[in-house]
Amino acid sequence: MTKLGVYDLEVRYGKVPALGGVTLHLQEGERLFVSGPNGAGKSSLLKAIAGAVSSSHGRVELDGDIITGKSAEAIARYGLSMVPEGRDIFSTLTVEENLRVGTGIRADKQAIEGDISEIYDAFPILGERRHANAGALSGGQQQMLAIGRGLMTNPKLMMVDEPSLGLAPNIVDQVYDTLVALQQERGLTLLIVEQSSARAARVGGRMVLLRGGQVVGDGDAAEFAKRDLLKEAYFGQADQSKSMEEAL
Amino acid sequence: MNAVPQLFFDAAALGGIYAMAALGIALIFGVMNLVNFAHGEYIAFCVFALIVPSSDAVAVMFLGKAPAILLIPVLLALGALIAVTSEYLVFRQLRNANPVAMMISSFALGFVIQNALLAVYGSRPKAISLWPDLNTPISVVGASVPLLQLIVIITTLLVVSVLALLLKKTRVGLEMRAAAENFTMARLLGVRANVVITGAFALSGAMAAAVAMIMVTQTGVADVRMGGQIMLVAFIATVIGGLGSLPGAVAAGFLIGAVSVVLQAALPLDARPFRDAFLYTLVIVSLLLRPQGLFASASAKPRV
Repeated sequence: MTKLGVYDLEVRYGKVPALGGVTLHLQEGERLFVSGPNGAGKSSLLKAIAGAVSSSHGRVELDGDIITGKSAEAIARYGLSMVPEGRDIFSTLTVEENLRVGTGIRADKQAIEGDISEIYDAFPILGERRHANAGALSGGQQQMLAIGRGLMTNPKLMMVDEPSLGLAPNIVDQVYDTLVALQQERGLTLLIVEQSSARAARVGGRMVLLRGGQVVGDGDAAEFAKRDLLKEAYFGQADQSKSMEEAL
Repeated sequence: MNAVPQLFFDAAALGGIYAMAALGIALIFGVMNLVNFAHGEYIAFCVFALIVPSSDAVAVMFLGKAPAILLIPVLLALGALIAVTSEYLVFRQLRNANPVAMMISSFALGFVIQNALLAVYGSRPKAISLWPDLNTPISVVGASVPLLQLIVIITTLLVVSVLALLLKKTRVGLEMRAAAENFTMARLLGVRANVVITGAFALSGAMAAAVAMIMVTQTGVADVRMGGQIMLVAFIATVIGGLGSLPGAVAAGFLIGAVSVVLQAALPLDARPFRDAFLYTLVIVSLLLRPQGLFASASAKPRV
Protein backbone atom coordinates (compact mmCIF):
# COMPACT_ATOMS: atom_id res chain seq x y z
CA MET A 1 0.00 0.00 0.00
CA THR A 2 1.33 3.44 -0.88
CA LYS A 3 2.10 5.40 2.27
CA LEU A 4 3.46 8.56 0.74
CA GLY A 5 2.94 9.81 -2.78
CA VAL A 6 4.74 12.88 -4.04
CA TYR A 7 3.61 14.13 -7.43
CA ASP A 8 5.51 16.71 -9.49
CA LEU A 9 6.37 18.71 -6.36
CA GLU A 10 7.96 22.11 -6.88
CA VAL A 11 9.49 24.48 -4.32
CA ARG A 12 10.81 27.96 -4.99
CA TYR A 13 12.62 30.33 -2.66
CA GLY A 14 11.70 33.62 -4.26
CA LYS A 15 12.61 33.06 -7.87
CA VAL A 16 15.18 30.37 -7.15
CA PRO A 17 13.82 26.89 -7.78
CA ALA A 18 14.91 24.42 -5.11
CA LEU A 19 12.79 21.50 -6.20
CA GLY A 20 11.73 21.13 -9.81
CA GLY A 21 8.98 18.59 -10.08
CA VAL A 22 9.82 15.61 -7.91
CA THR A 23 7.69 12.49 -8.08
CA LEU A 24 8.25 9.56 -5.75
CA HIS A 25 6.36 6.86 -3.91
CA LEU A 26 6.93 5.20 -0.60
CA GLN A 27 5.28 1.90 0.39
CA GLU A 28 4.07 1.24 3.90
CA GLY A 29 6.88 -0.06 6.10
CA GLU A 30 9.50 0.78 3.48
CA ARG A 31 12.86 2.42 4.12
CA LEU A 32 13.87 5.00 1.53
CA PHE A 33 17.15 6.87 1.42
CA VAL A 34 17.35 10.20 -0.36
CA SER A 35 20.82 11.13 -1.48
CA GLY A 36 22.46 13.76 -3.64
CA PRO A 37 24.99 16.58 -3.58
CA ASN A 38 24.56 19.74 -1.55
CA GLY A 39 21.83 21.95 -2.98
CA ALA A 40 20.13 19.01 -4.68
CA GLY A 41 16.91 19.80 -2.84
CA LYS A 42 16.91 16.99 -0.27
CA SER A 43 16.02 19.18 2.70
CA SER A 44 13.56 21.21 0.62
CA LEU A 45 11.80 17.99 -0.34
CA LEU A 46 11.41 16.98 3.30
CA LYS A 47 10.33 20.44 4.39
CA ALA A 48 7.77 20.69 1.62
CA ILE A 49 6.29 17.28 2.49
CA ALA A 50 6.10 18.25 6.18
CA GLY A 51 4.58 21.66 5.45
CA ALA A 52 7.50 23.68 6.82
CA VAL A 53 7.88 25.39 3.42
CA SER A 54 5.09 25.79 0.92
CA SER A 55 5.27 24.21 -2.50
CA SER A 56 4.54 26.20 -5.63
CA HIS A 57 3.24 23.25 -7.63
CA GLY A 58 2.42 19.59 -7.24
CA ARG A 59 0.76 17.40 -4.66
CA VAL A 60 1.64 15.30 -1.64
CA GLU A 61 -0.58 12.43 -0.52
CA LEU A 62 -0.32 10.62 2.79
CA ASP A 63 -2.42 7.45 2.99
CA GLY A 64 -4.37 8.81 0.04
CA ASP A 65 -5.19 12.12 1.78
CA ILE A 66 -3.93 15.22 0.05
CA ILE A 67 -1.81 17.15 2.58
CA THR A 68 -0.39 19.76 0.23
CA GLY A 69 -1.01 23.30 1.45
CA LYS A 70 -1.87 22.22 4.98
CA SER A 71 0.03 23.72 7.90
CA ALA A 72 2.89 21.84 9.54
CA GLU A 73 0.87 21.35 12.73
CA ALA A 74 -2.02 19.86 10.73
CA ILE A 75 0.27 17.51 8.80
CA ALA A 76 1.78 16.28 12.07
CA ARG A 77 -1.74 15.15 12.99
CA TYR A 78 -1.88 12.96 9.88
CA GLY A 79 0.92 10.89 11.42
CA LEU A 80 3.96 12.43 9.79
CA SER A 81 6.98 13.37 11.82
CA MET A 82 10.13 15.11 10.72
CA VAL A 83 13.57 15.15 12.34
CA PRO A 84 15.23 18.14 10.69
CA GLU A 85 18.81 18.62 9.64
CA GLY A 86 20.81 20.12 12.49
CA ARG A 87 18.37 18.46 14.89
CA ASP A 88 16.70 21.68 16.11
CA ILE A 89 16.57 20.50 19.69
CA PHE A 90 14.86 22.88 22.13
CA SER A 91 18.04 23.68 24.01
CA THR A 92 16.38 25.59 26.86
CA LEU A 93 14.02 22.69 27.62
CA THR A 94 15.02 19.56 29.48
CA VAL A 95 15.47 16.26 27.67
CA GLU A 96 12.13 14.97 28.87
CA GLU A 97 10.32 18.20 28.05
CA ASN A 98 11.67 17.92 24.51
CA LEU A 99 10.11 14.48 24.29
CA ARG A 100 6.77 15.77 25.56
CA VAL A 101 6.35 18.72 23.19
CA GLY A 102 4.99 16.49 20.44
CA THR A 103 2.59 14.48 22.61
CA GLY A 104 -0.15 17.11 22.54
CA ILE A 105 -1.61 15.69 19.33
CA ARG A 106 -1.95 12.14 20.58
CA ALA A 107 -5.28 10.56 21.37
CA ASP A 108 -3.72 7.67 23.31
CA LYS A 109 -2.56 9.68 26.33
CA GLN A 110 -2.11 6.56 28.47
CA ALA A 111 0.55 5.24 26.09
CA ILE A 112 2.77 8.33 26.41
CA GLU A 113 4.65 7.30 29.56
CA GLY A 114 5.31 3.86 28.10
CA ASP A 115 6.70 5.41 24.92
CA ILE A 116 8.98 7.68 26.89
CA SER A 117 10.47 4.76 28.81
CA GLU A 118 10.81 2.87 25.53
CA ILE A 119 12.90 5.72 24.16
CA TYR A 120 15.00 5.74 27.33
CA ASP A 121 15.52 2.00 26.81
CA ALA A 122 16.63 2.56 23.24
CA PHE A 123 18.90 5.48 24.20
CA PRO A 124 19.89 4.95 27.86
CA ILE A 125 21.94 8.15 27.95
CA LEU A 126 18.74 10.17 27.44
CA GLY A 127 17.18 8.48 30.45
CA GLU A 128 20.20 9.30 32.58
CA ARG A 129 20.03 12.94 31.54
CA ARG A 130 16.26 13.32 31.42
CA HIS A 131 16.26 16.41 33.66
CA ALA A 132 19.30 18.05 32.07
CA ASN A 133 18.95 20.95 29.65
CA ALA A 134 18.96 19.54 26.14
CA GLY A 135 21.43 22.24 25.09
CA ALA A 136 24.06 20.55 27.27
CA LEU A 137 23.90 17.28 25.31
CA SER A 138 26.59 16.25 22.84
CA GLY A 139 25.83 16.17 19.12
CA GLY A 140 25.16 12.45 19.09
CA GLN A 141 22.91 12.65 22.14
CA GLN A 142 21.01 15.52 20.51
CA GLN A 143 20.48 13.39 17.41
CA MET A 144 19.11 10.60 19.59
CA LEU A 145 16.85 13.08 21.35
CA ALA A 146 15.64 14.49 18.02
CA ILE A 147 14.72 10.99 16.85
CA GLY A 148 13.05 10.19 20.16
CA ARG A 149 11.14 13.45 20.03
CA GLY A 150 10.05 12.69 16.48
CA LEU A 151 8.70 9.32 17.61
CA MET A 152 6.71 10.82 20.48
CA THR A 153 4.05 12.14 18.09
CA ASN A 154 3.41 8.44 17.34
CA PRO A 155 4.00 8.84 13.61
CA LYS A 156 3.30 6.35 10.83
CA LEU A 157 5.87 8.00 8.58
CA MET A 158 9.07 9.51 9.91
CA MET A 159 11.47 11.62 7.86
CA VAL A 160 15.00 12.02 9.17
CA ASP A 161 17.26 14.62 7.55
CA GLU A 162 20.94 13.58 7.64
CA PRO A 163 21.11 11.72 10.94
CA SER A 164 24.82 11.10 10.39
CA LEU A 165 25.73 14.77 10.01
CA GLY A 166 28.65 15.69 12.26
CA LEU A 167 28.61 12.44 14.23
CA ALA A 168 31.40 9.94 14.90
CA PRO A 169 31.01 6.69 12.88
CA ASN A 170 30.29 4.50 15.91
CA ILE A 171 27.55 6.90 17.03
CA VAL A 172 26.08 6.83 13.52
CA ASP A 173 25.99 3.02 13.74
CA GLN A 174 24.14 3.25 17.02
CA VAL A 175 21.63 5.76 15.65
CA TYR A 176 20.91 3.58 12.59
CA ASP A 177 20.68 0.37 14.61
CA THR A 178 18.06 1.99 16.80
CA LEU A 179 16.16 3.46 13.85
CA VAL A 180 15.98 0.06 12.17
CA ALA A 181 14.93 -1.67 15.40
CA LEU A 182 12.23 0.93 16.05
CA GLN A 183 11.02 0.64 12.48
CA GLN A 184 10.57 -3.11 12.73
CA GLU A 185 8.96 -2.87 16.12
CA ARG A 186 6.44 -0.21 15.17
CA GLY A 187 5.92 -0.83 11.48
CA LEU A 188 7.19 2.65 10.73
CA THR A 189 7.77 3.93 7.23
CA LEU A 190 11.12 5.74 7.04
CA LEU A 191 12.47 8.37 4.69
CA ILE A 192 16.09 9.20 5.46
CA VAL A 193 18.44 11.72 3.89
CA GLU A 194 21.90 10.13 3.75
CA GLN A 195 24.87 11.32 1.73
CA SER A 196 26.84 8.09 1.92
CA SER A 197 25.64 5.29 -0.36
CA ALA A 198 27.93 2.89 1.50
CA ARG A 199 26.19 3.69 4.75
CA ALA A 200 22.75 3.36 3.15
CA ALA A 201 23.73 0.01 1.62
CA ARG A 202 24.89 -1.29 4.98
CA VAL A 203 21.60 -0.33 6.59
CA GLY A 204 19.69 -1.56 3.56
CA GLY A 205 16.81 -0.08 1.61
CA ARG A 206 15.82 1.71 -1.55
CA MET A 207 17.64 4.85 -2.62
CA VAL A 208 16.58 7.87 -4.62
CA LEU A 209 19.21 10.20 -6.00
CA LEU A 210 18.37 13.90 -6.31
CA ARG A 211 20.29 16.40 -8.36
CA GLY A 212 19.41 19.97 -9.23
CA GLY A 213 16.01 19.52 -7.64
CA GLN A 214 15.12 16.45 -9.67
CA VAL A 215 15.11 12.68 -9.26
CA VAL A 216 17.96 11.31 -11.37
CA GLY A 217 18.17 7.78 -9.99
CA ASP A 218 16.07 5.24 -8.12
CA GLY A 219 17.14 1.77 -7.04
CA ASP A 220 18.60 -0.45 -4.37
CA ALA A 221 21.07 1.36 -2.12
CA ALA A 222 23.55 -1.51 -2.56
CA GLU A 223 23.67 -0.87 -6.33
CA PHE A 224 24.54 2.77 -5.78
CA ALA A 225 27.20 1.79 -3.28
CA LYS A 226 28.76 -0.71 -5.71
CA ARG A 227 29.01 1.90 -8.44
CA ASP A 228 30.53 4.42 -6.04
CA LEU A 229 33.11 1.87 -4.92
CA LEU A 230 34.07 1.17 -8.51
CA LYS A 231 34.49 4.88 -9.17
CA GLU A 232 36.64 5.22 -6.12
CA ALA A 233 38.87 2.34 -7.20
CA TYR A 234 39.51 3.96 -10.57
CA PHE A 235 39.65 7.64 -9.67
CA GLY A 236 40.74 7.64 -6.05
CA GLN A 237 38.99 9.14 -3.07
CA ALA A 238 36.45 11.29 -4.90
CA ASP A 239 33.69 13.23 -3.30
CA GLN A 240 31.07 10.62 -2.68
CA SER A 241 28.02 12.43 -3.90
CA LYS A 242 29.83 13.67 -6.99
CA SER A 243 30.96 10.21 -7.95
CA MET A 244 27.43 8.95 -7.48
CA GLU A 245 26.24 11.46 -10.03
CA GLU A 246 28.90 10.47 -12.51
CA ALA A 247 28.01 6.86 -12.11
CA LEU A 248 24.66 7.52 -13.67
CA MET B 1 13.88 57.37 58.97
CA ASN B 2 16.17 54.72 57.65
CA ALA B 3 17.54 55.54 54.19
CA VAL B 4 18.68 52.16 52.97
CA PRO B 5 15.44 50.17 53.44
CA GLN B 6 13.56 53.15 52.05
CA LEU B 7 15.68 53.06 48.90
CA PHE B 8 15.20 49.35 48.67
CA PHE B 9 11.42 49.56 48.75
CA ASP B 10 11.34 52.43 46.27
CA ALA B 11 13.61 50.56 43.91
CA ALA B 12 11.74 47.28 44.21
CA ALA B 13 8.36 48.91 43.63
CA LEU B 14 9.47 50.91 40.60
CA GLY B 15 11.41 47.95 39.26
CA GLY B 16 8.38 45.73 39.74
CA ILE B 17 6.28 47.90 37.45
CA TYR B 18 9.02 47.94 34.82
CA ALA B 19 9.51 44.20 35.16
CA MET B 20 5.85 43.44 34.61
CA ALA B 21 5.63 45.73 31.59
CA ALA B 22 8.84 44.23 30.16
CA LEU B 23 7.51 40.73 30.73
CA GLY B 24 4.46 41.57 28.62
CA ILE B 25 6.71 42.58 25.75
CA ALA B 26 9.16 39.70 26.12
CA LEU B 27 6.36 37.11 26.05
CA ILE B 28 5.18 38.24 22.63
CA PHE B 29 8.70 38.63 21.31
CA GLY B 30 9.49 35.12 22.49
CA VAL B 31 6.77 33.44 20.50
CA MET B 32 6.63 35.56 17.37
CA ASN B 33 9.74 37.74 17.20
CA LEU B 34 7.58 40.83 17.38
CA VAL B 35 8.31 43.85 19.55
CA ASN B 36 4.75 44.97 20.14
CA PHE B 37 5.00 48.74 20.46
CA ALA B 38 1.27 48.92 21.09
CA HIS B 39 1.83 47.36 24.52
CA GLY B 40 2.00 50.77 26.21
CA GLU B 41 -1.35 51.63 24.65
CA TYR B 42 -2.90 48.47 26.11
CA ILE B 43 -1.90 49.92 29.49
CA ALA B 44 -3.46 53.30 28.70
CA PHE B 45 -6.60 51.57 27.41
CA CYS B 46 -6.98 49.68 30.67
CA VAL B 47 -6.53 52.88 32.67
CA PHE B 48 -9.25 54.67 30.72
CA ALA B 49 -11.57 51.69 30.98
CA LEU B 50 -11.81 52.60 34.67
CA ILE B 51 -13.64 55.87 34.01
CA VAL B 52 -16.82 56.99 32.27
CA PRO B 53 -16.14 57.99 28.65
CA SER B 54 -16.29 61.80 28.46
CA SER B 55 -13.94 64.65 27.72
CA ASP B 56 -14.60 66.42 31.05
CA ALA B 57 -11.59 67.33 33.15
CA VAL B 58 -12.91 65.51 36.18
CA ALA B 59 -12.96 61.78 35.84
CA VAL B 60 -16.06 59.93 36.94
CA MET B 61 -15.37 56.37 37.95
CA PHE B 62 -17.07 53.73 35.88
CA LEU B 63 -15.44 50.33 36.16
CA GLY B 64 -13.27 51.92 38.86
CA LYS B 65 -16.30 52.07 41.16
CA ALA B 66 -16.52 48.31 41.36
CA PRO B 67 -15.08 46.57 44.41
CA ALA B 68 -11.54 45.30 43.96
CA ILE B 69 -12.62 41.68 43.97
CA LEU B 70 -14.66 42.37 40.83
CA LEU B 71 -12.53 45.12 39.32
CA ILE B 72 -9.25 43.22 39.24
CA PRO B 73 -10.42 40.14 37.30
CA VAL B 74 -12.57 42.22 34.95
CA LEU B 75 -9.72 44.59 34.11
CA LEU B 76 -7.28 41.71 33.64
CA ALA B 77 -9.77 40.10 31.28
CA LEU B 78 -10.24 43.39 29.46
CA GLY B 79 -6.49 43.75 28.97
CA ALA B 80 -6.33 40.19 27.66
CA LEU B 81 -9.27 40.92 25.38
CA ILE B 82 -7.78 44.00 23.72
CA ALA B 83 -4.47 42.22 23.21
CA VAL B 84 -6.09 39.11 21.72
CA THR B 85 -8.38 41.22 19.55
CA SER B 86 -5.50 43.25 18.18
CA GLU B 87 -3.62 40.04 17.44
CA TYR B 88 -6.61 38.73 15.54
CA LEU B 89 -7.29 41.93 13.61
CA VAL B 90 -3.73 43.02 12.89
CA PHE B 91 -0.89 40.61 13.57
CA ARG B 92 -2.62 37.44 12.37
CA GLN B 93 -3.13 39.07 8.97
CA LEU B 94 0.62 39.70 8.84
CA ARG B 95 1.71 36.31 10.18
CA ASN B 96 3.88 35.56 7.17
CA ALA B 97 5.02 39.11 6.58
CA ASN B 98 8.48 40.50 7.24
CA PRO B 99 9.10 41.03 11.00
CA VAL B 100 9.79 44.70 10.28
CA ALA B 101 6.35 45.06 8.71
CA MET B 102 4.83 43.57 11.86
CA MET B 103 6.78 45.94 14.09
CA ILE B 104 5.71 48.98 12.06
CA SER B 105 2.10 47.84 12.19
CA SER B 106 2.40 47.56 15.97
CA PHE B 107 3.30 51.27 15.99
CA ALA B 108 0.28 51.94 13.79
CA LEU B 109 -1.95 49.92 16.10
CA GLY B 110 -0.62 51.93 19.04
CA PHE B 111 -1.51 55.19 17.31
CA VAL B 112 -4.99 53.92 16.51
CA ILE B 113 -5.65 53.00 20.15
CA GLN B 114 -4.14 56.25 21.40
CA ASN B 115 -6.19 58.38 19.03
CA ALA B 116 -9.35 56.48 19.79
CA LEU B 117 -8.78 57.28 23.47
CA LEU B 118 -8.04 60.88 22.52
CA ALA B 119 -11.28 61.17 20.58
CA VAL B 120 -13.38 59.76 23.39
CA TYR B 121 -11.67 61.16 26.48
CA GLY B 122 -9.99 64.35 25.24
CA SER B 123 -6.31 65.17 25.52
CA ARG B 124 -6.21 66.66 29.05
CA PRO B 125 -4.81 64.40 31.75
CA LYS B 126 -7.47 63.56 34.32
CA ALA B 127 -7.19 63.20 38.03
CA ILE B 128 -8.38 59.78 38.97
CA SER B 129 -8.38 58.22 42.36
CA LEU B 130 -8.31 54.45 42.52
CA TRP B 131 -7.84 52.90 45.94
CA PRO B 132 -6.37 56.10 47.53
CA ASP B 133 -6.04 54.33 50.86
CA LEU B 134 -3.20 52.29 49.45
CA ASN B 135 -0.95 55.33 49.41
CA THR B 136 -1.06 55.65 53.20
CA PRO B 137 2.47 55.07 54.43
CA ILE B 138 3.09 52.34 56.92
CA SER B 139 6.30 51.68 58.77
CA VAL B 140 8.37 48.67 57.73
CA VAL B 141 11.87 48.04 59.16
CA GLY B 142 12.37 51.73 59.83
CA ALA B 143 11.22 52.88 56.42
CA SER B 144 7.99 54.64 55.67
CA VAL B 145 6.46 52.67 52.85
CA PRO B 146 3.15 53.27 51.14
CA LEU B 147 1.08 50.12 51.33
CA LEU B 148 0.89 50.19 47.54
CA GLN B 149 4.64 49.73 47.23
CA LEU B 150 4.43 46.57 49.27
CA ILE B 151 1.51 45.42 47.15
CA VAL B 152 3.45 46.15 43.96
CA ILE B 153 6.43 44.17 45.17
CA ILE B 154 4.31 41.26 46.28
CA THR B 155 2.19 41.37 43.12
CA THR B 156 5.24 41.36 40.90
CA LEU B 157 6.74 38.40 42.70
CA LEU B 158 3.36 36.67 42.55
CA VAL B 159 2.84 37.37 38.84
CA VAL B 160 6.36 36.25 38.01
CA SER B 161 6.04 33.04 40.00
CA VAL B 162 2.58 32.23 38.66
CA LEU B 163 3.87 32.83 35.15
CA ALA B 164 6.92 30.70 35.80
CA LEU B 165 4.70 27.90 37.14
CA LEU B 166 2.35 28.23 34.19
CA LEU B 167 5.24 27.98 31.75
CA LYS B 168 6.92 25.18 33.65
CA LYS B 169 4.02 22.97 34.65
CA THR B 170 1.26 23.26 32.07
CA ARG B 171 0.91 21.83 28.59
CA VAL B 172 0.38 25.24 26.96
CA GLY B 173 3.37 26.58 28.91
CA LEU B 174 5.58 23.82 27.54
CA GLU B 175 4.32 24.58 24.04
CA MET B 176 4.98 28.29 24.55
CA ARG B 177 8.55 27.70 25.65
CA ALA B 178 9.16 25.34 22.76
CA ALA B 179 7.60 27.80 20.33
CA ALA B 180 9.62 30.66 21.79
CA GLU B 181 12.82 28.82 21.02
CA ASN B 182 11.95 27.42 17.60
CA PHE B 183 8.49 28.08 16.26
CA THR B 184 8.85 26.02 13.08
CA MET B 185 10.09 22.97 14.96
CA ALA B 186 7.26 23.27 17.48
CA ARG B 187 4.72 23.34 14.67
CA LEU B 188 6.33 20.30 13.04
CA LEU B 189 5.60 18.53 16.32
CA GLY B 190 1.95 19.51 16.09
CA VAL B 191 2.00 22.55 18.37
CA ARG B 192 -0.86 24.80 17.21
CA ALA B 193 0.52 28.22 16.33
CA ASN B 194 -2.75 30.03 16.95
CA VAL B 195 -3.25 28.59 20.42
CA VAL B 196 0.26 29.53 21.53
CA ILE B 197 0.12 33.02 20.05
CA THR B 198 -3.35 33.76 21.42
CA GLY B 199 -2.21 32.53 24.82
CA ALA B 200 0.85 34.76 24.75
CA PHE B 201 -1.21 37.81 23.80
CA ALA B 202 -3.79 37.10 26.49
CA LEU B 203 -1.09 36.84 29.17
CA SER B 204 0.65 39.92 27.84
CA GLY B 205 -2.60 41.92 27.86
CA ALA B 206 -3.45 40.82 31.39
CA MET B 207 -0.01 41.96 32.45
CA ALA B 208 -0.68 45.36 30.85
CA ALA B 209 -3.87 45.60 32.90
CA ALA B 210 -1.97 44.83 36.10
CA VAL B 211 0.53 47.58 35.30
CA ALA B 212 -2.35 49.95 34.55
CA MET B 213 -3.95 49.40 37.97
CA ILE B 214 -0.67 49.95 39.77
CA MET B 215 0.23 53.08 37.82
CA VAL B 216 -3.15 54.67 38.33
CA THR B 217 -3.16 54.02 42.05
CA GLN B 218 0.35 55.37 42.36
CA THR B 219 0.13 58.49 40.19
CA GLY B 220 -3.59 59.27 40.37
CA VAL B 221 -3.53 60.43 36.76
CA ALA B 222 -5.06 59.10 33.57
CA ASP B 223 -3.17 60.45 30.59
CA VAL B 224 -3.62 59.34 26.99
CA ARG B 225 0.15 59.53 26.53
CA MET B 226 1.05 57.50 29.60
CA GLY B 227 1.64 54.32 27.57
CA GLY B 228 4.58 55.72 25.64
CA GLN B 229 6.79 56.37 28.62
CA ILE B 230 6.39 53.02 30.35
CA MET B 231 6.69 51.31 26.97
CA LEU B 232 10.07 52.96 26.40
CA VAL B 233 11.47 51.78 29.72
CA ALA B 234 9.95 48.33 29.35
CA PHE B 235 11.34 47.96 25.85
CA ILE B 236 14.79 48.92 27.06
CA ALA B 237 14.45 46.38 29.85
CA THR B 238 13.63 43.60 27.39
CA VAL B 239 16.62 44.55 25.23
CA ILE B 240 19.03 44.75 28.16
CA GLY B 241 17.65 41.50 29.54
CA GLY B 242 18.23 39.79 26.21
CA LEU B 243 15.27 39.94 23.81
CA GLY B 244 12.93 37.02 24.29
CA SER B 245 14.35 35.97 27.65
CA LEU B 246 11.62 36.12 30.28
CA PRO B 247 13.88 35.94 33.37
CA GLY B 248 16.12 38.50 31.65
CA ALA B 249 13.22 40.91 31.19
CA VAL B 250 12.23 40.64 34.85
CA ALA B 251 15.78 41.08 36.10
CA ALA B 252 16.46 44.02 33.80
CA GLY B 253 13.17 45.65 34.82
CA PHE B 254 14.20 45.51 38.46
CA LEU B 255 17.70 46.68 37.58
CA ILE B 256 16.46 49.76 35.73
CA GLY B 257 14.10 50.57 38.59
CA ALA B 258 16.90 50.22 41.10
CA VAL B 259 19.40 52.28 39.13
CA SER B 260 16.93 55.05 38.57
CA VAL B 261 15.98 55.21 42.27
CA VAL B 262 19.63 55.16 43.33
CA LEU B 263 20.51 57.88 40.83
CA GLN B 264 17.62 59.97 42.13
CA ALA B 265 19.02 59.68 45.64
CA ALA B 266 22.73 59.88 44.90
CA LEU B 267 22.96 62.55 42.23
CA PRO B 268 23.72 66.11 43.37
CA LEU B 269 20.58 68.23 43.51
CA ASP B 270 21.46 70.22 40.38
CA ALA B 271 21.93 67.08 38.33
CA ARG B 272 18.71 65.36 39.37
CA PRO B 273 16.56 66.79 36.59
CA PHE B 274 18.92 64.97 34.21
CA ARG B 275 18.56 61.64 35.96
CA ASP B 276 17.20 59.94 32.84
CA ALA B 277 20.18 61.12 30.82
CA PHE B 278 22.46 59.34 33.28
CA LEU B 279 20.20 56.29 33.24
CA TYR B 280 20.20 56.02 29.46
CA THR B 281 23.96 56.56 29.34
CA LEU B 282 24.26 53.46 31.49
CA VAL B 283 21.90 51.67 29.11
CA ILE B 284 24.18 52.56 26.17
CA VAL B 285 27.25 51.41 28.09
CA SER B 286 25.60 48.11 28.97
CA LEU B 287 24.60 47.52 25.36
CA LEU B 288 28.13 48.34 24.17
CA LEU B 289 29.57 45.83 26.60
CA ARG B 290 26.95 43.11 26.17
CA PRO B 291 24.95 43.66 22.99
CA GLN B 292 23.24 40.27 23.39
CA GLY B 293 21.77 41.44 26.70
CA LEU B 294 22.98 41.20 30.28
CA PHE B 295 21.16 38.01 31.11
CA ALA B 296 21.23 36.16 27.80
CA SER B 297 22.74 32.73 28.32
CA ALA B 298 25.91 31.94 26.43
CA SER B 299 24.22 29.15 24.49
CA ALA B 300 21.28 31.26 23.38
CA LYS B 301 21.08 31.76 19.66
CA PRO B 302 20.96 35.31 18.32
CA ARG B 303 17.34 36.07 17.65
CA VAL B 304 17.34 39.35 15.79
